[in-house]
Amino acid sequence: MMRRIFRFDEDSLNSSSSSSNIASPSSSSSFGPSSIGIQNPTNQSTTTIGDFSLRSSSTQVDGSGSSISNNHGFFSDLDPTTSTTQENIADYLRAEIFESVQKVFQNHCSDEDKLRAISENLHNDEDSPGFLREIIEHLKDKQGEHYDFALNQFNVIVGGTPPTITSPLEQFEIIPLIPMKIGNLYFSFTNPSLFMLLTLSLVLLLVYFVTKKGGGNSVPNAWQSLVELIYDFVLNPVNEQIGGLSGNVKQKFSPRISVTFTFSLFCNPQGMIPYSFTVTSHFLITLGLSFSIFIGITIVGFQKNGLHFLSFLLPAGVPLPLAPFLVLLELIPYCFRALSSGIRLFANMMAGHSSVKILSGFAWTMLCMNDLLYFIGDLGPLFIVLALTGLELGVAISQAHVSTILICIYLNDAINLHQSAYFFIIEQKRV
Amino acid sequence: MLEGAKSMGAGAATIASAGAAIGIGNVLSSSIHSVARNPSLAKQLFGYAILGFALTEAIASFAPMMAFLISFVFQVL
Repeated sequence: MMRRIFRFDEDSLNSSSSSSNIASPSSSSSFGPSSIGIQNPTNQSTTTIGDFSLRSSSTQVDGSGSSISNNHGFFSDLDPTTSTTQENIADYLRAEIFESVQKVFQNHCSDEDKLRAISENLHNDEDSPGFLREIIEHLKDKQGEHYDFALNQFNVIVGGTPPTITSPLEQFEIIPLIPMKIGNLYFSFTNPSLFMLLTLSLVLLLVYFVTKKGGGNSVPNAWQSLVELIYDFVLNPVNEQIGGLSGNVKQKFSPRISVTFTFSLFCNPQGMIPYSFTVTSHFLITLGLSFSIFIGITIVGFQKNGLHFLSFLLPAGVPLPLAPFLVLLELIPYCFRALSSGIRLFANMMAGHSSVKILSGFAWTMLCMNDLLYFIGDLGPLFIVLALTGLELGVAISQAHVSTILICIYLNDAINLHQSAYFFIIEQKRV
Repeated sequence: MLEGAKSMGAGAATIASAGAAIGIGNVLSSSIHSVARNPSLAKQLFGYAILGFALTEAIASFAPMMAFLISFVFQVL
């Protein structure tokens, strides 16, 4: 508070004091309400209030105007013209400060009196236009000491958290890039759509470039081995899980599972790129994925086994009195599969990415804290953020893997009913 | 008052991490036991261990998720 009372914009102070010096060396300053009512007509016409580019010329005119008034001999110890125009400009600027304060806090406080108090504490009834303009600049940029002071005042006067503390969930915000409406449907092209499109084009480009000239080089280059690796990575668990008791089930679901895997494999790590967006960190998208797969698996189960599929709900060799309870007990986890696989992916992505953001914020604070810690304090945050980023990348890839394997297991349940794939593997090992 | 209660709730939500820690420890210790008994299956068992780790980790991330939701999404007004 105290330090800002003595802060003047040097340029404007010099110019105004020099002009008042012309009028009278003994004049105290151009500040003060002493000169209301005396105006220079030429001055009024040339100076548009709020036109800041004219400020320097207006002070020059002020100088000449004051010298005229000095020649006339009236009010030689005052400098009427300078102070009135300056006060008009200052009034205008103060109003603008109030507007900027309103704009900054528009989501947090609508009480006009409190906002006016904040803006009054900000400019402290000062007239120096440079100082006032600096305040406006800081409020517009949302940084600088005046902005910090405004937040401080907001805390004191209004209470509650100031709006600078950005939540780590901000990165998951959905922003409509191209707003559209079809009838009553909100059908905007948002940033999730953009990043999903990006994922799609990335995968398709990768596959396209690999298979461009027929593909299939006997000695694969780096890209081809990457694509082959992804393909193999899906095909192996699919063969293992849905192979059936004697490996007799055809792998017609392999493409579908491969698409799901590739989608989450590319979407999850994509969110680790700064300023990008994690598509799979949204409930809507992961639940849409898991519910559609769940419904599809149920349909496949009925298609393959007919009504015999219902025997899935009752393990073999159960005494009849227990059957109703067991059916219920099996039905609930079966239905929860749809929820759980969606929530698992969503929770991992959201919690992981937010914790990376929070800890990066801590690291940044530590980095900027002290010059003394400069050499020691650098390495700690660096390694923490590095390790956390590595962990997140690992989690992103392993979640894609896990959701794929779980889809395989569910599909196996639907196709082969109670024949577990693990028996098949063990049998294969024995042979 | 409400702000404080919110912080306490967010803090209490992280207690759930203890269970996740036990779970992950259990998965890895079982994996080590199994490999010690039958080292020839080490590669296959490692795959299962990673799968179990990822599943446990997924449940573990509900705790920070709740904490974040409590502290950043719920508005006290």
